[in-house]
Amino acid sequence: MSRRVVITGVGLLSPIGNSLDEIQASLEQNRSGVTYMSEWGNFDGFDTRVCGVVDWYDYKQIPRKDRRSMGRVALLAAKSMMDAIEDANLSSKEVSSPRTGISFGSTMGANETMFKYISQIAQDSSFASQTSMGFLHFMSHTVSANIAAMFKIKGRNIPSCSACTSSSMAIGIGYESIKLGKCDTMFVGGSEGEHILNAGIFEIMGATSTKYNQTPDQTPRPFDSERDGLVTAEGAGTFVLEELESAKRRGAKIYGEIIGYATSCDGEHITTPSKDGMESVMRLAIEDAQIDALEIGYINAHATSTPKGDIVESHAMYSLFEDRVPVSSTKGYMGHILGGCGVVESAIGLIALRSNLLPANKNLVKVDSECADLDYIYTNRYKEIDIIMNNNFAFGGINTSIIIKNYKEQ
Amino acid sequence: MTREKILEELKSVLVEEFEVEESEIELESDIFTDLDLDSLDAIDLVVNMDKQLGVTLKGEDAQKVRTVNDFVELVLSKA
Repeated sequence: MSRRVVITGVGLLSPIGNSLDEIQASLEQNRSGVTYMSEWGNFDGFDTRVCGVVDWYDYKQIPRKDRRSMGRVALLAAKSMMDAIEDANLSSKEVSSPRTGISFGSTMGANETMFKYISQIAQDSSFASQTSMGFLHFMSHTVSANIAAMFKIKGRNIPSCSACTSSSMAIGIGYESIKLGKCDTMFVGGSEGEHILNAGIFEIMGATSTKYNQTPDQTPRPFDSERDGLVTAEGAGTFVLEELESAKRRGAKIYGEIIGYATSCDGEHITTPSKDGMESVMRLAIEDAQIDALEIGYINAHATSTPKGDIVESHAMYSLFEDRVPVSSTKGYMGHILGGCGVVESAIGLIALRSNLLPANKNLVKVDSECADLDYIYTNRYKEIDIIMNNNFAFGGINTSIIIKNYKEQ
Repeated sequence: MTREKILEELKSVLVEEFEVEESEIELESDIFTDLDLDSLDAIDLVVNMDKQLGVTLKGEDAQKVRTVNDFVELVLSKA
């Protein structure tokens, strides 16, 4: 019989709360985590002033020798890892077992360090004033490398840096690692730290929200006819994934079972999403889960509130589910956490499974007429469900789809 | 530059940047075994002292240093 993979620990930092309970409370109260960024006014021709920010700055929770090589992106991830290990009640021996691995990713390393480092080197034409830590803050795998060192991970370490699918892909890597018998436990997740560079790269492409700077809680607006772009955000999350029998032996609490995962590539345009690619990855995940598509009770969509992306994704979902499965994008509450969105949005799927809360599409008033006729959730809905799907998509046409089910013995 | 000035700056950097307890810093303190710095910290200590005192120290200089006093002597020799 195939090895089953369950989620036994969760650590989260998001603009709407730093735990499952806090995030659930924000969803229930329709609370936004998007704030006005007054300091962004110093950049010429830069119009967006909104961002989702995490309220956690107690960096001294991380020991100095671990903290010194971390920027905010890795610090947030490390905190989520600490919380997940505590939640899962794992011993240091279990964390450092050769059968325990990690997979983490982010879109960017520490932008705040990179900004200073590169500009100083360019100004001085010299590396002399740089400490040894700069590169370790902003290297591509800064999150997984720092976490592995801090928590003394001895098994596999697979960085999953793929922009907006970084943490969903990490979950998939962990699921497959355990299912294939390579590991018994995997810490998986992702992170992103707030910085104007993250917003800037999207503003250059005309993809940021700029009309709601004075009313931050009204943006982003996934699927809404008045949406005007995405809002970048920061955040991090860690899931502890375990092989079922191992979790049962130690009496672990089980949040849910990952029953399906798929990743695929459009192989087309570098930024424009493909309906076929999105549809394909959802179909592959459903095949992996060996379920009927309509057994899924809630879909957490990627929908970032960009004009094109939301339309394409809605039609991809329609081709599989028509209007028979409730859909929401929870980015309306907090913005787009980029490398951390996959784990945070999968965690919202866990909230749906445990509490039957299907969260609304915050700020959805009137669906864009070009979007497909889905079962969009306008206000929080309470419905008993058994299975959720979480989808995420990234530049480069990278697609991921995760299916999680309430744990049952059989 | 006086020995006292160098020691004062060194203590300040050790406390502020490396979170060493000031009361633990003695001239004969071994920066690795007593103050819990490692080889990367030693490189960064050199960079920080270079900035504070305007002397030109190199990363390899750090490899010769064991004690707080060694560091003071190193800076004096370059000043």
